[in-house]
Amino acid sequence: MKEYITKIGSGDLAVDDTLLTKGVETTAGSKILSGFVPLFSAEAVERAVKAGYTVSGKTNVGEFGLDLVGEFSNYNDGDEVLRGAAAELIAKGEVKGALEVDLNGAPRRAATLSGTDFIKPTYGTVSRYGIIPCACSGEQVGAAAANAAETKKLLAAVAGHDGKDGTSLPAEAYDYSCGKEPAGMKAGIITQLFELASEETKAVIKGYAEKLKALGVSVEEVSVEEIAAAQSAWQILMAAETCNNVSRYDGVKFGYRTPNYKNIDELYIGSRTEGMNLLTKTTVLYGSDVLSKGRYFTCYDKALKVRRVVAERFGELFKTYDLLLAPACGKTEYKKYDITRAFETVYGESVFTAVPNLIGIPAMVTKGVQLMAGHFEEKTLFKIAESAEGTDK
Amino acid sequence: MEKTKLDGLLSLNELQLSEDETASVLGAFEFMEGQEKIMDGINTENVEVMVHVMPMENVLREDVREQPFTREALLEGAPEHTEDSWQVPRLVK
Repeated sequence: MKEYITKIGSGDLAVDDTLLTKGVETTAGSKILSGFVPLFSAEAVERAVKAGYTVSGKTNVGEFGLDLVGEFSNYNDGDEVLRGAAAELIAKGEVKGALEVDLNGAPRRAATLSGTDFIKPTYGTVSRYGIIPCACSGEQVGAAAANAAETKKLLAAVAGHDGKDGTSLPAEAYDYSCGKEPAGMKAGIITQLFELASEETKAVIKGYAEKLKALGVSVEEVSVEEIAAAQSAWQILMAAETCNNVSRYDGVKFGYRTPNYKNIDELYIGSRTEGMNLLTKTTVLYGSDVLSKGRYFTCYDKALKVRRVVAERFGELFKTYDLLLAPACGKTEYKKYDITRAFETVYGESVFTAVPNLIGIPAMVTKGVQLMAGHFEEKTLFKIAESAEGTDK
Repeated sequence: MEKTKLDGLLSLNELQLSEDETASVLGAFEFMEGQEKIMDGINTENVEVMVHVMPMENVLREDVREQPFTREALLEGAPEHTEDSWQVPRLVK
């Protein structure tokens, strides 16, 4: 079994392998990028270092972050129970925090399984400059740590406008410490997601709801019928964008090149075929299909419209609720499975995580529960998470 | 999804699949056909597409010539290169 982390130094920060680190091999968990050594670091990494963090190493991720928690990277061989690399290192106290890219919920699932915290912030608040991109319209750099206070500190260090990222929002910095007190807040448990979860997971959600009630938060179930459509829409958009983004890997300019070629076509096909796993290939092919003539309007265009409907629905929900609760995973443990079932398996679990990627809202995992709030309401999530953690003491 | 259409997608994306992988991909496509239908339950008549989830406008930088990286540094990451170029098989006979 390989290690969770490729060590660089004795620092306190892990950086997942979809974030570029100058002079250190960065592969996004893919053979197609083997040997790729970036000439610059991701902006989020630069900012964390400037704020006093020191990079401990690169944590392994599943190829391009497409799988559940990194099971199809090269470190989980032989492990029956799946864990995310960065979350496990935090849980073991080997690093204080981690920067991770949330493309399809993998860091949120990993935090749930390891009992750590992770926040995917509002889209555009953390620079995406220097990440290895897949689905540019919904993926975000997020912060992970052992508790809410440390997670907040790391996010604050890396958030803020970056002129090098065309999707970066204008605010120079964000104050995450000004969330109002929980008493009097209203929280909704999303019925559709709660019902899909295992009994153990339901018990975790119920337990957290009790903690919130003890803090003076009123909690009730809320039905959100658009959840399943949101999941389909995100899968379609993510696949389409991934198809475009990984088209750049051709074995010519960087990364892996097949040794078996006689002409340029064999070089392209051999390098891409040998360099990417079946989950990535399936995603690319499906993304290519939904963008094709005859499918574009019924599928891709429809998904973009569903995105608006879902955004408006959640906008309405956040007029009533300060936050929404849901599981980030359907169960408390994932077991090793075969890659031929990966596409459907990951899709099945992405129902819990798709909405924040689809519409750019912040989502935080704490104590095994996923909290969501409206755009720029990270301060609310941190306040709730810190207060709930305080009830454990 | 017909096999012939999958072959077209494979060609477009410069990929190949083994027989087992083909069966897996066709299964995934069939699975997604069912999932896509869920979106039919959402009325999107007169709804505008939402490309950006946050309000954004394209901002173009000044068109100023610069050289952030040297040719040597860029070539260093290539699987094969000559002194000044990426190396690929001969394209024109």
